[in-house]
Amino acid sequence: MSLALRRQAIQWLPALAVFALGIGAWQGLVAAFHVQEFLLPKPSEIARTFWDERGTLWHAGIYTFKEALGGFALGSGLGILAALLFAAYRPLGIAFMPFAVAANAVPIIAFAPIMNDWFGLLNPFSKMAIAAVLCFFPVLINTLRGLTSVDPRSIELMHSYAAGRASVFRRVRIPASLPHLFAGLKIASVLSMIGAIVGEYFGGPTNALGVTILNASAYTNFPEAWAGIVLASAFGILFYGAVALAELLTTAWDPSRRAFHTE
Amino acid sequence: MATIAVERPSQTWRGGAAYGAKRSALVAAGLAAFWGIWEAYRFVGERAGITWPFTVDATNMPHIHDMLSALTKPLQPGGPRLIQLEWHWALFTGKEALLGFALGGAIGFAIAVVLAHSGILRRGLLPYIVVSQTVPILAVAPMVVVGLGTKGVKPWIAVSVIAAYLTFFPVAMNALRGLLSPDPRSMELMRSYAADRTAVLWKLRLPASLPFLFSALKISATASVIGAIIGEAPASIQDGLGGAIVNFNQYYSTGPERLWATNIVCAALGLFFFLVVLIAERLVLRRAPEHVA
Repeated sequence: MSLALRRQAIQWLPALAVFALGIGAWQGLVAAFHVQEFLLPKPSEIARTFWDERGTLWHAGIYTFKEALGGFALGSGLGILAALLFAAYRPLGIAFMPFAVAANAVPIIAFAPIMNDWFGLLNPFSKMAIAAVLCFFPVLINTLRGLTSVDPRSIELMHSYAAGRASVFRRVRIPASLPHLFAGLKIASVLSMIGAIVGEYFGGPTNALGVTILNASAYTNFPEAWAGIVLASAFGILFYGAVALAELLTTAWDPSRRAFHTE
Repeated sequence: MATIAVERPSQTWRGGAAYGAKRSALVAAGLAAFWGIWEAYRFVGERAGITWPFTVDATNMPHIHDMLSALTKPLQPGGPRLIQLEWHWALFTGKEALLGFALGGAIGFAIAVVLAHSGILRRGLLPYIVVSQTVPILAVAPMVVVGLGTKGVKPWIAVSVIAAYLTFFPVAMNALRGLLSPDPRSMELMRSYAADRTAVLWKLRLPASLPFLFSALKISATASVIGAIIGEAPASIQDGLGGAIVNFNQYYSTGPERLWATNIVCAALGLFFFLVVLIAERLVLRRAPEHVA
């Protein structure tokens, strides 16, 4: 155990060193070159503001994170369902896939103002909707790729056991799709947070994080704006980390995942 | 041999034409289906008074033909048609996106080359490259534009920098995976020829990374357009599609079809960037079929 811990420490040591060096250099350079506060406040300044405003910022962060989470759940859920449908009825998938790929190449986030007009500026669902649309396509494309790129030998083996379609799905296709699914979900976790904040930028309640950041910089309260930006990234990192952890937990017991590693 | 050389192109041409016709028919059918669903939902929704999840009315769901015909009408009487304005906005935003794409692609690839050669840098920097994408760049955009402005950088170039920030990430991650992907046996072979790092990079790592690189560039093509559109809004740039979205959004209740028309142009610009990369991928990777992932 201590050996594993030490290996973990060695693994993460460079990252921690870069973190310390980066913060130190930031603080030093801002002080040395007298960078104006509106461009980049000192990290110590941001940290102090963060602490002073922690109540307001935290509530705003939670509010926005709930929007992101709602959009993530909705968009990813629908993406997975659509992928299962397209994998089960291949001609449908073959006909629809070019549109999914094209939709993924469209700057969907430009529709954030329209979502605000549809569902109302103050309705959190307007932000969930844009986050959901952003999440839908990467999850759909990745999951479908996972469901359909199964080793043909596994399918043949299942057929030789006279397995039906349902059990091929449950025992082969779905486990094999998990790594692809999680690649999609990790992208979606970051996109959902960005979608919620961009949606709020085009208008939202004052207790939302995006609006808090916008108002803080409009009133030239730049340390608070940066504190909000740091909090938004922190939520994004935690969300991404949570999905990565879920991937670790759901694929650890799965023999097909181990097969992926050893291959 | 001669007959093959004569026949083959015509065969592939005929095959290509049939494939292209099939594809075009599919796209047309898909667009027609979308049009039908949109109009049917509006027709039913207006009569049944659907208010959930949103109120179905002429403001929220303009006719698609109204969105398209809005493009042919001038904004003010006597002014240029909207499509002409949209064309100029699209060129402006496209210019920002293109510079951002080039900048982000070059930086992303450079980062990948450096990280491919050093395990310790990889462990030190890779987490922050992932973290960088969780920063809500929209919120940082005004600072970037003002900050670069004090250095004499034009606002549109500052927007390109924002686009580059979104572009570099997929390139760095995928190129790194590609540069690290060569078969260990190939690496050993190169080493047995006493090939130095530069030779391994050019002759082995770079060709192996191309399929990975192109799948990243396809993502980046869209990301650069997104960055350019999103960056214009907080930078208060009025000459591009992002500025147009902000403006038309303010007058949504009186002219919703103009915002929709602008979004259609945004979509077209994103698709155009994507297709250019797709074609480049086909041309480059056709010569090395064994590398096509």
